[in-house]
Amino acid sequence: MNNALRIFGKEMRSVLRERRVLFTTLVLPILLMPFLMYGPAIFFGKVAKQTAEATHKVGVQNLPPAVLEQLKQAKLEPVPTGDPVQAVQNEVYPAAIRLEGQAFTIYGRLAGTTQSSLVVEKIENVLRNYKDTLVAQALQERGLSTDILEPVTVRVQDASRPQERAAGLFAFLIPYFLVVFILSGGQVVAIDATAGEKEKGTLEALLSVPVTLRQIVLGKLMAVLAVALASALAGVGGIVLGSTVMRGFLPKEMLENTRLVGGLSLEATGYLALLLTAVLFAAFMASLQLALGIYARTFKEGQSYMAPLLLVFIVPLLMLQFSDFLTQHSGYYLIPAFNVMLLLDGLVKGAAEPLQMLLTWLSSLVYAGLALLLAVWSFQREEVVFRN
Amino acid sequence: MVKTEALTKDYKRLRAVDALSLEVRPGEVYGLLGPNGAGKTSTLRMLATLITPTQGTAKVGGFDICTEPLEVRRNLGIVNGGMQVYERLKGREVLEFFAGFYGLAGRRFQERLEWVASLLLLEEALDKPVRKMSSGMRQKIVIARAILHQPQVLLLDEATAGLDVFARRALLDFVRTYRDLGKTLIYSTHVMSEAEEVCDRVGFLYKGRLIYEGSLQEALQEGEGSLERAFIRKVQEVVA
Repeated sequence: MNNALRIFGKEMRSVLRERRVLFTTLVLPILLMPFLMYGPAIFFGKVAKQTAEATHKVGVQNLPPAVLEQLKQAKLEPVPTGDPVQAVQNEVYPAAIRLEGQAFTIYGRLAGTTQSSLVVEKIENVLRNYKDTLVAQALQERGLSTDILEPVTVRVQDASRPQERAAGLFAFLIPYFLVVFILSGGQVVAIDATAGEKEKGTLEALLSVPVTLRQIVLGKLMAVLAVALASALAGVGGIVLGSTVMRGFLPKEMLENTRLVGGLSLEATGYLALLLTAVLFAAFMASLQLALGIYARTFKEGQSYMAPLLLVFIVPLLMLQFSDFLTQHSGYYLIPAFNVMLLLDGLVKGAAEPLQMLLTWLSSLVYAGLALLLAVWSFQREEVVFRN
Repeated sequence: MVKTEALTKDYKRLRAVDALSLEVRPGEVYGLLGPNGAGKTSTLRMLATLITPTQGTAKVGGFDICTEPLEVRRNLGIVNGGMQVYERLKGREVLEFFAGFYGLAGRRFQERLEWVASLLLLEEALDKPVRKMSSGMRQKIVIARAILHQPQVLLLDEATAGLDVFARRALLDFVRTYRDLGKTLIYSTHVMSEAEEVCDRVGFLYKGRLIYEGSLQEALQEGEGSLERAFIRKVQEVVA
């Protein structure tokens, strides 16, 4: 064990002296996460507000005077146009309206969140009001109240668990970034400790000392694990920083525009369960990364081996958004890596069940052990270690 | 001190080392000579227990390379031309790291550090990061790493590759000094002039086979004063 700790110490010393690695794995996540959380939302909120307040020209065809008047009241400047579709396509106007018979058609460029889509939204509101006015007039002419339109009321109330409600988008962000940072943080060290050592010519010297391969792999594994977890904690720290400290500095109206709000309200056992899950997943990934890394001849080759690994896990991560449809089957908690993502999601929402935790932890422990054996086996193979 | 018996190494269809049998005694520098691809590196890697033989066996310091690899490594040091040490560490840190594997710590490490520093003249390099060292100084650290535990057997594989004239001279001087301490050295190279300077006995390796073995004087006689000529003649005899 002393030898493994010695190798761990050397690897950590090397990492801590590499400012580039330190910055990208530990500092950048803390700085980046608050920006990622609030930057786009704040920007979008600002743009949406400006669009709502500014007066925009819109192309119109065959509109009645009453509608034209309501458009003006809604800070829209109607401009008669011969071909509304062409006018929008050529970006003469952000949006246009045509009336054919009783049908209004609104034209806009609706791919993604554009200024055009915001103007279309304004027009929709105007036309909805116009329609409501016509309905109210028709009812009045027949001596009926507008209440007839709403014989019953419908109300939706959030009945989710308090933790789930408090988590908000954290329920998605925490598992997502934990996994991403565990993978990306460990990757640098794993490649450096394997392909990097090969490329620099230091591996042979290490293999010639009186130490078993198991100890060498274990020492390197501990270093990859430590940096992966530190990176993940830095990422989560950035999210927490974004949700607490940063929010304190932002104007209230800006926060209202941002939808990326949430917070962790777990008990101590919840945090411990999160940590244990992350550690087991990091151990699994670190072993896998070491096994892959030793196959590579150079650092660059190692990076090309690792890139697909990240992609492989991005897909199930994205599926987390639909996890509600999946959580009924215990079998999902045995699928490597996906089980961890599901459990993290459940833990953050406070919805994880003991059986799900048990299955995930035990299976992750087995996968980590198997991956470690694979890494040791890879280090034992001459054609792999001396492949250069 | 080093004894191989029919040592053989195959890489898929290629036989890199073919039934090599040799013996190297304490206080002797044995030159394992041959062109690139002759099987020198594979031989030394087998002796260092980095790769396993396909057939045959060998003993290093009395320990079997197949069944007692950790004991072999405790009694052996290896340096090759491509070997490097950790760039982000200082010279002293590199040596301390490797010394730990041999149980050298505290005062014992300090004593060995002083010994190796004076032997290789690397006092000034100890507190310098490896990345800031010249190639010659780096090679000295590589050698220091290999001999810090004072192994009975030292394997040098193309150890002067890439070194400038001063560093190369220092290395050749060191080989003689280390031999005079009663150690066993195998000096593998394709540069015959180097072997003429430092070896006591030589073995010619060609396509994995030991085609000649003798003292340096005997080999020089075979080549009328030139080791290179001796080697070419022996290869021609085998090919014929």
